[in-house]
Amino acid sequence: MRSMKRLAVLVLGLTLVAAACGDDASGGGDLLADVVERGVVRCGVNDVLPGFGIVDDTGAFSGFDVELCRVVAAGVLGDADAVEFVGLTAGERFTALQSGEIDVLIRNTTWTATRDGQEGATFLFTTFYDGQGIMVPTATGFTSLEDLADANICVLQATTTELNLTAVFNARGIPFNPVGFADNNLLRPAYEEGQCEAWTSDVSQLTAFKATIEGEGGAAQTILPDVISKEPLGPLVRDGDSAWAQAVEWSVMATVQAWEFGIDSSNVAGYTSDDPNVKNFLGVDGFETGIGLPTDFVVQIISQVGNYEEIYNRNLIPIGLPLAGTPNDLWSNGGLMYVPPYR
Amino acid sequence: MTDTRARSAGRRTSTVWYRNIRVRRAIAQVVAVIGVITLGWWLFSNLVTNLNRLNINTDFGFLGRPTQFQIPYDEGFNPRSSVWSMVLVGVKNTFLAGSFGIILATVTGIVVGVSRLSSNWLVARIATLFVETLRNIPPLVVIIFFGFALFTFGPFPIITEADQYSFFGSDHNVLILSNTVWGIPSLIAEDGAGIFWIGVLFGFVAAGLVARWRTGVFDRTGRAHHRVILALGTFAILAFTGYLVAGDAYSLSWPALGESGRRIVGGLQLNWGFIAVTIGLGLYTASHIAEIIRGSILAVPKGQSEAANAIALSSFQRYRFVVLPQSLRIAVPPIINQYLNLMKNTSLGVAVAYAEITSLTLTSIGNGRPAPQSIVVLMGVYLAFSLTISFVLNAYNRRIQLVER
Repeated sequence: MRSMKRLAVLVLGLTLVAAACGDDASGGGDLLADVVERGVVRCGVNDVLPGFGIVDDTGAFSGFDVELCRVVAAGVLGDADAVEFVGLTAGERFTALQSGEIDVLIRNTTWTATRDGQEGATFLFTTFYDGQGIMVPTATGFTSLEDLADANICVLQATTTELNLTAVFNARGIPFNPVGFADNNLLRPAYEEGQCEAWTSDVSQLTAFKATIEGEGGAAQTILPDVISKEPLGPLVRDGDSAWAQAVEWSVMATVQAWEFGIDSSNVAGYTSDDPNVKNFLGVDGFETGIGLPTDFVVQIISQVGNYEEIYNRNLIPIGLPLAGTPNDLWSNGGLMYVPPYR
Repeated sequence: MTDTRARSAGRRTSTVWYRNIRVRRAIAQVVAVIGVITLGWWLFSNLVTNLNRLNINTDFGFLGRPTQFQIPYDEGFNPRSSVWSMVLVGVKNTFLAGSFGIILATVTGIVVGVSRLSSNWLVARIATLFVETLRNIPPLVVIIFFGFALFTFGPFPIITEADQYSFFGSDHNVLILSNTVWGIPSLIAEDGAGIFWIGVLFGFVAAGLVARWRTGVFDRTGRAHHRVILALGTFAILAFTGYLVAGDAYSLSWPALGESGRRIVGGLQLNWGFIAVTIGLGLYTASHIAEIIRGSILAVPKGQSEAANAIALSSFQRYRFVVLPQSLRIAVPPIINQYLNLMKNTSLGVAVAYAEITSLTLTSIGNGRPAPQSIVVLMGVYLAFSLTISFVLNAYNRRIQLVER
């Protein structure tokens, strides 16, 4: 009888597990409707990266990527605060997306072919053009990659950074020792205390940490001039749900279009223009695109969060990342920020 | 009365088959098995369907493809090595941290456990402090503590200014200490290593025969057997002879700082992640083993010690022949559990950048390898480790358990 009882318990346990991860958990085909019904967007973000996604003592999230989550919520639900943030490490992020734990991942994630092909993810509009760099303490006097022969190089585990580092150093025949950490909180002390001679990551991240380290009275840091990769960062969603993908993408692109039109959070209320494109954009006269977003979604986004330039200025200028003249500037200023027309 | 019983027995044999308790049990078993298999199949097909819908591969072909990344402190591994060879490196590193951790945990645990029962006030209190501190802290915190306290914020210099110790008047370093990697001398096998190991094998066999012979003499005549010292002596003589015959079985490799001054060449290099995981988990588990040892000694009835005293055994003899053999029977099963825990807890090594199997698997998943299959491989590795430990130690446990004749 005991063995039968055990079997019964096992069967019951398995049933519970099965129920917990039933077919719908990973998202059917209509996430947009689900999100609207649920009334909250679950957004995967970084929680330890100053400027992009960081959580403070009170548990509040802030940063560039975090604000983009708020943009999506404002666009889809009309309420920028209707976001449930999920802090993820680099290693967890794709699994969280695939399993349906989050609706959208905005966590400084580089768009690559393998990720597009093998992670079941669809990458959307690139919101930040980055490149990988290497930071060293100024006191070490390192000026080029060749100086770093045999060095311990700190890197975040499970990132494209790790692969670029290996590829570039091997191509140049420079021996090195990668020291992989699961997150920046563990990596930073190891770097500051000299367990690694160098820290490689996206230049944006290095700039943020350079500012933080120097701001907190640490040693002066130098970012080497070599930029060893292209890192287009943007939001991504699961494959196979184009309605949700379009809703997220157009919400995010609206911030760039607003910037181009000169619409920001201070003037969006009552903004008038004779330009039919602007009228369409702001949903005047009930212009419908059929994307599935509310007619006034742009007004909600811009009034509650702001346009791209405002979001950038709030989060990235303070950590020392300039906007003017970089690839993240508007196309009309020589940058790469170019969105399809709104008509 | 006899009549009734006979009749009822007769009725029982003629019961319809589905009322037979044996048949019912069998049917219940079959139904349960079918249920479990169906559930398992449903879960699996659910997974496969969902993965296919997301265009994620469900085969294991990825194991043969290159990883494209490098593993810290592993020069034999390069970015073109396959994912499978990465798994092997991970298994090796997990095994090293786990086995050295187990040795440290066992030795420390026994010492501390016995110390807790010491009549010396200070020794007993220090042992209590050790146990109560370590076993009430999560193992992850212990590992991070040792990583940070010993290395990151610890006393050792950075590698370019590493402390190098050598014997007086010798050019060779016996020890190099830095905050990332330590170097110690190591043995390198030379041509004669095979002959040396043949000598060792002979020594081992001969030592066994000597021990049996002395035991036989003791059993027949009651004369002191001295089997331990005689067997060890035999082993040492034969192994040493093998070493002399081989000529050059092993040579010493000394650690030295490499040309760049940023790494150690030669000798055996211990990286800080390995040391932090081994010491952290070793001491954490030691605190649990100490309690098991203490409890198992206390569980031996007091009368046993008193009886030993009554026949005038010395304190050592009392422990060796009366108390420990009985307490071991109690201690071994829970200690097996602790070994299993320690082996599995090595997965926390990722916190101190130690390249054990979980850490490498997560890196590999993050770089585009399929998660479900990778996790299956990972589970297989831990299962193999755990089953091996249980198998070996359960065999030992059966040997020392009380055999009722």
